[in-house]
Formats: sequence, structure tokens, C-alpha cells
Amino acid sequence: MKNTTVLGAFGALALLGATLATPAAADKLDDVLGSGKLRCAVVLDFPPMGYRDANNEPAGMDVDICKDLASRMGVDAEVVGVTWAERIPSLISGRTDVAIASSSDSLERAQTVGFSIPYMVFQFQSLLPADSEITEWDQLKDANVGVAVGTTYESELTDYSAANWPDGKGKITTFQAENDTYLAVSQGRVEAGIATDTAIANILQSDSFSNLKAGPVAPFGADIVGFMTQRNEFGWINYLNLYINHAYRDGTLGDLYETHIGGEMPDLTTVGVYY
Amino acid sequence: MDYQFHWRPVIQALPDLLKASLVTLQVSLIAMALGLMIGLVLYFFRASQLRVLRGFGSTWVEIARNTPSLFQIFVFYWGLGEFGIFLSSYTAVVAALTFNCAGYMAETYRGGFNAVNAGQDKAARTLGMTRFQSMRYVVLPQVLRAIYGPMTNQFTWVILASSLGMLAGLRELSGETQYFNSRTFRTFEFFAATAVIYYLIAKMALLLMALLGRPLFKAERAKS
Repeated sequence: MKNTTVLGAFGALALLGATLATPAAADKLDDVLGSGKLRCAVVLDFPPMGYRDANNEPAGMDVDICKDLASRMGVDAEVVGVTWAERIPSLISGRTDVAIASSSDSLERAQTVGFSIPYMVFQFQSLLPADSEITEWDQLKDANVGVAVGTTYESELTDYSAANWPDGKGKITTFQAENDTYLAVSQGRVEAGIATDTAIANILQSDSFSNLKAGPVAPFGADIVGFMTQRNEFGWINYLNLYINHAYRDGTLGDLYETHIGGEMPDLTTVGVYY
Repeated sequence: MDYQFHWRPVIQALPDLLKASLVTLQVSLIAMALGLMIGLVLYFFRASQLRVLRGFGSTWVEIARNTPSLFQIFVFYWGLGEFGIFLSSYTAVVAALTFNCAGYMAETYRGGFNAVNAGQDKAARTLGMTRFQSMRYVVLPQVLRAIYGPMTNQFTWVILASSLGMLAGLRELSGETQYFNSRTFRTFEFFAATAVIYYLIAKMALLLMALLGRPLFKAERAKS
């Protein structure tokens, strides 16, 4: 009698231990809540979306979105500065939980990472030397145009010029970074550069590029960007989607847009289709 | 790490990567060849009686050896651009690597010449050779033998350093890898493949140098 009680007690303990030792599979959302820390990968050389302020602290719209998301989850925000190329390794290696890094949601990339619904829309615009005589988009067909390599606008521009400017005498020069494109236009190495409208508006405010001006907007599609995380993190992606929905409808995104870029927050929906 | 490797994007991009490897190889070969020649000239400049030539040679060697190659590439590409001199990415990278290579080779030559006993030249001259003949037939072959190892190292180094060319917009192997990486986000796969390609290129370069060097070491092989 006594022996069976002891055995039963051991059995119950063993069962409890087993339950504690094998928790139900925790997903990224659990990890973030459990650790009390949201680690966001943000590209910090893409003002006004991400940059370092005068005190060398991360700042910009992507940074503020990370902080807002963290505060709504009741955790601390940790902004991890990454380069464009480091976004994916930082997610995959588990150094960051989400990339809020103005990343275009191309189908090709979505074969590797998971994208949230769009949280921001950019336009592509040309950047010109202040004394440039280019006023129409089509005049760029004979120009040497600079663009950062691997960006959405690089592939869009390449496809566009092949389709629409078969007799164009211009060429496309690629650079490793956005800043290199601005510098090349400023030096006169290229006759025009292509970048996002927000970045162009931002650099035109700075003193270092006073010899530049904004040119015609590209006729090809808008640049739609989402958050990124690992492809199989459905629970986490669902949460991020809902967050973007809330942040848009309660005006948070609009306010951040007003603060960092100015003007009206663009529409995040694509007319005529469900996401 | 929770990640599925997919190699298909890499395989699809392989023709482009190999084409870019040719750019890497081309840039390195040209820079190395020019560097070898200019390096020798710089060595003679530094050994010269003329102060101007000595100063020129030493300044070149000092800057080439004591500043980062990345900085040198930037100077040729963006630095000259500030003065309205626009070298293409290709030219700028070749020029910068040549500049660097010549600086290092000048020092290597110095070591090589020091290794050849001064008596060799004297003996050759006593036998009636002109200064040029003595240099051409007696001293230089021995110098070449002495510097062959370091020269091979230098060649490998130039091949690997040419990857910095992507920062000046050159679409060599690294630049092309970066392009495909940002298109597909298959970061691990592309960089792994590129590392293997670099390894193979470097090994091929070593093999090439070993083959080219065979006549140089004929005498030594005969001895052993």
C-alpha cells in the first residue's frame, strides 16, 4: 500500500516534469513576449526612414515604428542597425525578430522571407544637378542614370528602359549605396539618379547637396514595402499585420509620416484586389 | 537556425557569376602585370642617386603600403571625381590595385636584390658584360627566383582585394553576388557559392604561377 503511494507520487512528479520540460512549440511571438525585448533590424543609412541623429542614436520613421510596436506589446524596443545585405542574415541567425527596413515585397524575395502587409509606399523619382535641363521623364532616355544596385528601382528602371527606350543613347550606372548615387549626381559623374521620393526630399534639405534638385517622378509602379521575418512564423506575421492595421487606422502611421516626411500618408491598399 | 537552403537561384545565376569571375580575373591580372613592371621601376627609383626619383619612389611605396586598399580605390573613383576626372569603375579599380601592387612589389624587389650577393654583378662585369647584360642575365633571374614566393602571395592578394571593387560600382564577382543577394535574399547560398568560386580562382592562380615558375627553378630541381 505504502509502496504504491510512493510510486504514484513519483509518477505524478515525473509527469509534471515531462510537461515542464517539453513546452508547447513556442513561436517568435512567444519568444518576444517571453524575453521582454523586441529586436528590430533597421537600416540606418536611409534617412528619413532610418538614420543616426546628432547624438548618434537611431532615429527615423522605421525606428519609431519599432518603438511603437514594442510599446504596444509591452516590451522594450532594441534597434539593431544593419546594412541592406545584413537584413536577412540578422533575421535567420536569430539576432533580430523583425526587419522594419523599408524592404520591397517582391515575389522573388518572398520565396526566402515572410512579408507583412504593406506599411509604407514610396514613389521613384529622379534626382538632378540644379542646372540640369531635364524636365520630362522621357528626356532621361539619352542620359547616364545612376541607381543603387539591387534596389527595386534598379530592376524597374532596367526593364522600363529596355521596353520603352530601345533607341535610347543613355545608360544605367549602378552604385553600392544610395549615398554613392547622390554623390555621383553631385559630382556630375552621372546626369541623373533614381531614388525614392522620401530620400530625395530628405537630402535636398541637407547642406551637402545644395547643387541638386528633384526631377520628374518615374512612371513605373510604386515601391510597396513591408516588415520581414522568417517565412514560417505565421503567428508572428499575423500579429505584425494586425499591428500595421491598427497603427494605420488609429492615425499613428499618419502622424509618424507627418513628422518624418511631411504631408499625407499614402494609401496602403491596392485598388481592385484583396491582399 | 531555422532555414531551408535553396540552391536553384544560385545555379540559375551561375553563368552570370562566372562571367563576373572573368572580370575579377581580368582586373587582377592586369593590375598584377602592371604592378610588377611599375614596382621594378619604383625599386630602381629608390635605389637611384637622384633625390627626386628617390623621393617619388619612397612616397609611392609609403602611401601604397600604409593606407587601406579600400581608401585607395575610393580615391581613384570618388576622389578624382571631385576634380571632374571620371574614371570608369573598371579603370579606377585597376588603377588603384596597380598602385597598391606596385608599392608592395617595390619592397619585394628590394628584398630580392638584397638577397643576391653583390659579388655576382661585379663578377659578371669583370667578365666583360655591360651593366644591362649583367642585370638581364645574371642578377634579375636570381632576384626573380628569390621573390617568386612573395610574388605569388601578392597575386592571390590582388585577386581577393579586387572584391573591394564592388564598392566603386564594379560588377565583378562580389558585386554580382551582392546584386543577386538583394534580388533573391538567398544570402547564405550566394555568399557560400562565391566563397567557393574565390577559392577555386585563387587555387588556379597558384597553379598557374607554379607552372610559369618551372623554368626558373630548373637548376634547383636538377640539383636535388
